[in-house]
Parts: sequence; structure tokens; C-alpha cells
Amino acid sequence: MAEKLTRAQYHDLYYYLRLNRRVDEQLTSLYRQGKVVGGVYSSLGQEATAVGSAYALGPDDFLGGMIRDVGAMLVRGFPPRDVFLQYMARRDGPTGGRDANNHFGDLKRGVMAPVSMLGELVPLLAGVGLAARIRRERRVGLTYVGDGATSTTPFHEGLNFAAVLKLPLIVIVENNGWAYSTPVERQMANTKIVDRARAYGIAGEAIDGNDVLEVYEATRRAMQRGYNGDGPTLIEAETMRMKGHAEHDDARYVPKEMLETWRERDPIVNYEKFLTKEKLLTSDEKAVIEARLDKVIREDVEFAERSPFPAPEEAAQPVWA
Amino acid sequence: MKASKDKRTTEKPLTGARRNGGSFNPGSIARPPDGPMTPLSNRGTAQPDSRTLERMLYYLKLTREAEYRIERVLYRQGKIVGGVYVGRGQEAMAVGATIQLREGDVTFPSHRDFAAWLIRGFTLRQIFLNWLGRGDGPSRGRENTGHFGDVKRGLIPIISPLGDTCPLACGTALVQKQRGQGHVTLVHFGEGTTSRGDVHEAMNMAAVWKLPVIFICNNNAYAYSTPTERQYAVKDLSVRGPAYGMPGVTIDGNDVLAVYEAVRRAIARARVGNGPTFIECKTFRMTGHSAHDGAEYVPKRQFEVWAQKDPVARLEKLLFAKKLLTPKAVREMEEAIAEALDDAAAFAESSALPEGAEATEGVYCGPKCWWQSRLHDD
Repeated sequence: MAEKLTRAQYHDLYYYLRLNRRVDEQLTSLYRQGKVVGGVYSSLGQEATAVGSAYALGPDDFLGGMIRDVGAMLVRGFPPRDVFLQYMARRDGPTGGRDANNHFGDLKRGVMAPVSMLGELVPLLAGVGLAARIRRERRVGLTYVGDGATSTTPFHEGLNFAAVLKLPLIVIVENNGWAYSTPVERQMANTKIVDRARAYGIAGEAIDGNDVLEVYEATRRAMQRGYNGDGPTLIEAETMRMKGHAEHDDARYVPKEMLETWRERDPIVNYEKFLTKEKLLTSDEKAVIEARLDKVIREDVEFAERSPFPAPEEAAQPVWA
Repeated sequence: MKASKDKRTTEKPLTGARRNGGSFNPGSIARPPDGPMTPLSNRGTAQPDSRTLERMLYYLKLTREAEYRIERVLYRQGKIVGGVYVGRGQEAMAVGATIQLREGDVTFPSHRDFAAWLIRGFTLRQIFLNWLGRGDGPSRGRENTGHFGDVKRGLIPIISPLGDTCPLACGTALVQKQRGQGHVTLVHFGEGTTSRGDVHEAMNMAAVWKLPVIFICNNNAYAYSTPTERQYAVKDLSVRGPAYGMPGVTIDGNDVLAVYEAVRRAIARARVGNGPTFIECKTFRMTGHSAHDGAEYVPKRQFEVWAQKDPVARLEKLLFAKKLLTPKAVREMEEAIAEALDDAAAFAESSALPEGAEATEGVYCGPKCWWQSRLHDD
């Protein structure tokens, strides 16, 4: 490993992976209780990509995630209550009940709000990189796209633009096998997405997106390229969407065997095994983390449920700037 | 076709018939012209026959001369409505590619691929009428440049927002694939256009669906004033082919035989269902972006370097060397071209401008509109 993590950092990664999954589980049960307004888009099985990469970033770096990258937002300091408030469309949520899901951000936390039109974040985070260049600030912009979004216009235009200007941009392609119901081989003829890096003249790495440490390290290398003026990096993180596109989709088009294979590659189970084997996590330490998770989830769900719905007369207020 | 419109299409195209009279058939052995010249890559397995070589020279010369008349004569005389965009120095792509198309194939030329219209059977008269904005022109004076085509001739008009033709080319290729008759689609675009999402989406889709479409990038080194190093970060754009899962090749775009060969291979692949190919043709725009652009941003030296690679002179030299052509035959060819251009220019100039009252006709397509009748007649 290029950089040695401290024991506390290993624990941080474990905490955020578990927090991401706990938030996910909680959203699913809230959805089934009829308390969620709109759909629930699960991160199940892909937590390591969002958590590992966001954890690698420095405080001045920026990221812009997709709907499944809740883990990245938790790492950047948003409390789980923000996510619950959003999904339940409550007044105290970041968008005040005007939007559901994790469509919120905070420039102070270096988080751009997800854009529903996938791929659109690539030019936006390239813009962050350009601003950093102009202001002579040491900063990278990191964003995620799915395998499906690689077929979009902004992915291409944003990446080419960043390549020409050698901007400090990191694009992580979360290749989770499915763009809603479209499998990767119906999305592109060359399914080695990392090959696209060569098409733009930028660095490319293909990694196991379910290995949080591999994601962390690849992101660190990409950040270094960005800081050094060596331009963008395209990281293909191989992972799998373990649920449907959203809670309402039973994903019957996904072969059962595929899910079974990937269940063996669960990012959290495997990371925990690694920590245990390397004696980096004792059962006592694990119990402390779980207790912390229990507490924050319980408190934040309660907080969110107590929060009122927005007043109708306020609905249009901050919609137009 | 309505009788009143007949004169637009009954004029004999200047493709084969007129110049096939034998006036410039191979004759006596000629000495090649002197001077440094990049040689043509005379390789490949299926060289065009001597007839095709001659036709290619004819279209190269005709393009060069016709565009000279339009850009350097008529435009400067103030007779052209709007701007003028020519392909001086990059004539070989349209000629080398279009000349191999069969009936049922489709091409989407760029605005610098003049020869595509000629080879697909449009007459010089039609083209000049359009440039001069005349009422009898293909677009009836509603616009100029190459914004006209003909579905029956398999030539789709250019679209000003560049790159938009690429997904359309996927559309015609999809139809061709579904009909299963082995037809193919060509689409030309510049290197600046490759930065656009339309090209990206189209190339990805063509690769996934194995569409019979050939993407030809006329890489002329400048997108208006943007040089290639400010346009993309790779040496050769052809690396994008494999990224999408299709073959990619970079060739000398000023070598009409190299264009012919690369396109021939791509067409052969496409006709048997093996999908698309991306061909990057390195060439140079020997003029400004348009007639109003002096291109001061292009280093003079570049023009000098590329003048040595002139596609017209190179093919002419080869034909002399191969003893397929005599200077006399070339002279006759040039005279025929000059005569045809005189005729087209005079014809267009003497034609009437469109009537003001008709201005909106054919702009919106209704059941009785002119385009509809063109699609459904004969």
C-alpha cells in the first residue's frame, strides 16, 4: 500500500461503510412504511466506491455524486438526518421538502448537489478544476458516473474539455452492471470502460470498486495527478447494484446467479474480514462502532419524523433564485 | 416531379456521360511535373481501376475550380448571399469516399465536401443556383451552402450545428441494416466536431448495434481558429475507434488513394454486418474558415508545408507517372471543367431570385408542401 492508514482511519472507513448501509436499510423500511415521498435509490453493494473515494479527498477538494453515492456525502459530513429529512420531504431538510433523495449539496463541505440528468456533473466538476487552476488553489474535483452515463454527451464533452486543459478532475465510473435494466453489453461494444481514458489522452485505472482500500488508493493517485498538473483520471470501479434501479423495481431482469456471485464480493463483509484478519478491529471496537451507529440512526430518524412538512405557501420561494 | 420543376433535375449531371466521351483518355506518355511532392501511398489490395482514377482526378479538379469560382469570384463580386465555406486542400476525402458508393448507400457530407454533391448526381447548375440564392435552386433561395440534399440520391443535407448528422447517419444505417440489402452510410465531420456529444453518442450507438456506418473525420487542423492541440489531448483521434469497440485508422487525407482504400475496407466490413469504422483523415484547410476569414491565426509556414501535399497535384502526378493520362488529356479535362463552370455560373446568374410571396412555402412541412411532393412523386 502506498500510504499507510492509521488504525483510526481504518475504523473511519468501516464506520462510514456501515453508516451508508444502515442509512440504506433505514430508508427501505421508511419507504415500506409509506413515509418516503418518491422513490428510494439504494447504494446496496456499492458503498465502497463512494466511501473510499470521498474519504481519500482533502478538505479543500470537491465532489459531486450520484443518487447512490450517499456514502460520499456522509463522509463529507452531512448527518444521516439530512438524508432522512430529504427522503421524507420535511421542512427541516436541506431543500426544505422541495426535493427528495440526496439532491442537495453544500459548497462549504465541497459537495455539489447531484444532478438527476446523469453525466452532467462531469463538466461541472471540470469547472471546479478550472476554477482551482485559475485561482491557483490546490484542489481536485471528483465525480461519479454510472456505466450508462458514459454514453451521454456531457460525459464526453466534459472529459475531453478537462483532458485538453489538463484539469484536476477525477471521474469514477461506477460500473454496476446495469443502467436501470440495460446491461453493460447493450450499453457499449467495448465493455472495458477504462479504455476510454486512452481516447481522451488521460490516465485510466480499472479497479475493484468493492474493495474500499483499492478505491481509496486509486483516488489518492488520481488526486496527486490532479495536484501535479498531470490532468484528469478516469477510474473504472467494477461493482454491482444489488437491488433494483429503485425500491419499486424488483430487477427481475438481473440473472439470479449474477447477484449470488456478487453477494460473495460484499464490500463491507470483505472489509470486515480483512480488518479482523489483520487484527485492525477487535470485537470490542466493532461493538463500539455499532453502538454509535445505532444511536445516530435512531436519533436522526426520530428527528426527521418529528420535523413538519413544509408550509404550502413557502413552496415556490427558493425555487427561482 | 412536377413539370414546372423539371429544369432543376433534367439537366444532365456532369458525372460520367459528358466527360466519358474519351476526350481525355490515356494518350501519349507524359513527363510528370517537376517539384517536390509527397508521394501517394500506392499500396493496398484493391486499387481503383484507371477509369476510377481518372474520374477521381476529374472530381478533384472540378471541385477545386468550382469552389474557386464561388469563393474567389462570385463572392468577391458580391453575388453570393451569406458566407462561403469551401474545402480547398481537402477535396480528397469526399472524392475518395463518395466515388465508391452504390445506389442505396447514403452519405452525409460536411460543408467542405463539395464533390459529394457532384458524385451523387447534383449538377453544377443546381449548386450554383443555390449559392446565388435563386428561386430555381434546390432550396429555392431559402439558404445557401450545402443545405440541400435528396433522399433519392442518398445525400442528406448538411446541418449547421455540426455533429448532428452523426446520429442521423446511425438512423439511416439502422434502416439499412434492418432492410438487409448490404447498404452503407458515410458521414463526414471535422475534428472540432469530435468534441461534441452527438458524435460520441452516435459512435457508441453504432458500435453497440453494429451499424453499417463509416465515420470519416476530415481532420483539417483548425476548427474555425481552434488548433487541434486545443481541441483534443490525443495524437491521433483514431484511438477513439477501439475505445468504442470499432476499428480506428488514421490516414493521409490528402492522399485520395489512401482515402479510397480505407473507406473501401470500412465499406466491405459494414456491408457484411461487421459494423462501423472510424477513419481519421489528416488534411489541412487551405483557406479561412469561410470567405470572410483571413485565417491570420494560421502560421504561414503551415500553408507552405501543406501546399506540397496538394491532393489534386498528387493524383495528377501519379496518373502521369502511371501513364494513364497525358498533359493534353488533362488540358481537355480542364477546358471541359471551365466550360461547365461558365455555363453553370451564367445559368444561375440569369435565373430569378425567389418571389417574396413564396418565402414561407416549404419552410414548414404540411401535407401539400414541396418536400412532401418531392418524396412521394415518381
